[in-house]
Amino acid sequence: MASYEEFLEEKSKIDELVEKGYRIGKVEENLSGAFVDFERPNEKKQSEKKQLHILNPDTRKYFSNLLIAQQKNK
Amino acid sequence: MADLRTNFAGIKAPNPFWLASAPPTNTGYQVQRAFEAGWGGAVWKTLGDPILNVSSRFAGTSYNGKQVMGFNNIELISDRPLEVNLQEIYETKKKYPDHAVIASLMVEPQQEKWHEIVKKVQDVGVDGFELNFGCPHGMAERGMGAASGQVPELVEKQTMWAKEAAEVPVIVKLTPNITDITATALAAVQGGADAISMINTINSLAGVDLDSWNTIPHVAGKGAHGGYCGPAVKPIALNMVAECARDPELNNIPISGMGGISTWSDAAEYMLMGAGSVQVCTAAMHHGFSIVEDMIDGLQNYMDEKKLETLDDIVGKSVPKYSDWGDLDLNYKVVARINNDVCINCNKCHIACEDTSHQCIDMLTAEDGTDYLEVREEDCVGCNLCSIVCPVDGAIDMVEIPNGEPMTWNDRQAAIKQTSTSATELA
Repeated sequence: MASYEEFLEEKSKIDELVEKGYRIGKVEENLSGAFVDFERPNEKKQSEKKQLHILNPDTRKYFSNLLIAQQKNK
Repeated sequence: MADLRTNFAGIKAPNPFWLASAPPTNTGYQVQRAFEAGWGGAVWKTLGDPILNVSSRFAGTSYNGKQVMGFNNIELISDRPLEVNLQEIYETKKKYPDHAVIASLMVEPQQEKWHEIVKKVQDVGVDGFELNFGCPHGMAERGMGAASGQVPELVEKQTMWAKEAAEVPVIVKLTPNITDITATALAAVQGGADAISMINTINSLAGVDLDSWNTIPHVAGKGAHGGYCGPAVKPIALNMVAECARDPELNNIPISGMGGISTWSDAAEYMLMGAGSVQVCTAAMHHGFSIVEDMIDGLQNYMDEKKLETLDDIVGKSVPKYSDWGDLDLNYKVVARINNDVCINCNKCHIACEDTSHQCIDMLTAEDGTDYLEVREEDCVGCNLCSIVCPVDGAIDMVEIPNGEPMTWNDRQAAIKQTSTSATELA
C-alpha cells in the first residue's frame, strides 16, 4: 500500500473515534510504531477505551497535532 | 559603498579577508605581495622550533574534472629560524601599518616555552597571536598541534600561558579532528582567549596510486596522513563555526572562520554564521593572491544591494536560524513540482526518487504521445533529492504547502510525556 493511502486509512480510524467523542489518553511508542489509547466516558461514567496501532509516519504526526491541540484546549 | 573595515577582537584591518597561516604566508615577500593585492590581514606561517620538511608535500583531489575540490598537505610549520621570520614581520608591519599581521605560534605544552615565544614575537609589533592547536600531521606526533588541541585541559592551560605574556589579542585556532568542537572552544574561552578561529585541516589521505600502490602524495614510497582543506571541507567548517557561534557558553567570542572559502559568497556565508573575519588558503594557492579583488568587490556589492553599511550588519545574522533538530517544525512541508516547459525528460529525478527515495515521480505519456514526469505530491516527502540531481535550472521547484500550526519533535515528545504523567496521576 502506498504511504499516502496508509495515512488516509489510519487517519480515518482516528477521525472516527474523535467524532464519537474519544480523546487521546495515552501514547506508547516502540519499535513497532505508536499505540494510541483513546478514551471517552460512557453513560455509567466509566472510561471506554480503544487502542489504535499507528504505523504511518504522517499519521503519527497527525495524532500528535491532535494531542497538542487537545492539551491546549483542556 | 559598504565599509569593510574590520575590528576583530581588537585587531584592525582594512577588510575581513585574511590569508590563513600556511605556505602563502611563509615569508615577508609573500605577505607584502598579498597586502599589495588587497588582503586585509595575514596570519604568518606558524612559528616555533624550525622544522625539517619532506619533499612531495601536497596533493589535490579532483571531482568530475573540477580541480582542487580538496587539498591535502603534509608540510609542517616554518622551517626558518625565528629571528629570520621576526625581521621580516617587523619590516612588513613597518611597510603596512594598517594591515593585520597575526603570528601563528606552536611550541611544546610548557609554560616557559609559551612565555618565551610570545614575548619574542610581540616585540616586533604583531597585531595578535593565533595559537596553532590544530595542525594534524607531523607536529601532532611530537605532542603539539592537534595532539594538544584535542585535549581541552591542554587548550585551556596553553591559552592561559600565552595570555600571561601577551599584550595583544590571542586567537586560539581549533582542530576539527574532534567530536565536539565546542568543548575545545569552551576550553579556549576558559583559558582567556580573545577569539577563536576554525577550522584547521582534517586528517586525510588524498588517495592511492593504482599502478604503484603508493599513497598520494608519497615520500620515497611511503606516506603519512595529512591535513585536508579546500572547497570540499566548507560544509564541515561552516557547521563548526555555527555551532560555536550559537553556543551560549562561549559568550559570543569572536570567530575567525576558514575552510574552503574561495569566493565572496563563501565568505558572506561564514560571516552570516558568525565569523567576524575569514581566512583563506587553498583558493589563494590555486589561483593566486589576486582573487581577493573579486572577494572585496563581491562582498561590497552584496552589502550595497542589501543596504548593509558595515560588517556588524551581516556578522552572525543567520545564527538564530541555526538550531537543534528537535526544534525544527515537523509540520513544515515542501513538495517537488516539475516544470514541464523546462524539463528535458532526462529522467534523472525519476531514477533518483524511484531507486533511492520515496518513489513519487511518475513517468507518464500525454494523449499526444509526449513523455512527461509528474510528482505525486501526496507521496512526496520534500527530501529535495530530485531538485539536487536535476541538471536543468528551474525544471524542479520545491514548493511550500500550508500544513497547519508548527509542531516540533520536542513539542510532540513533551505532549506524549504528559499523557503518561496524567495516566500515572489517575492510577
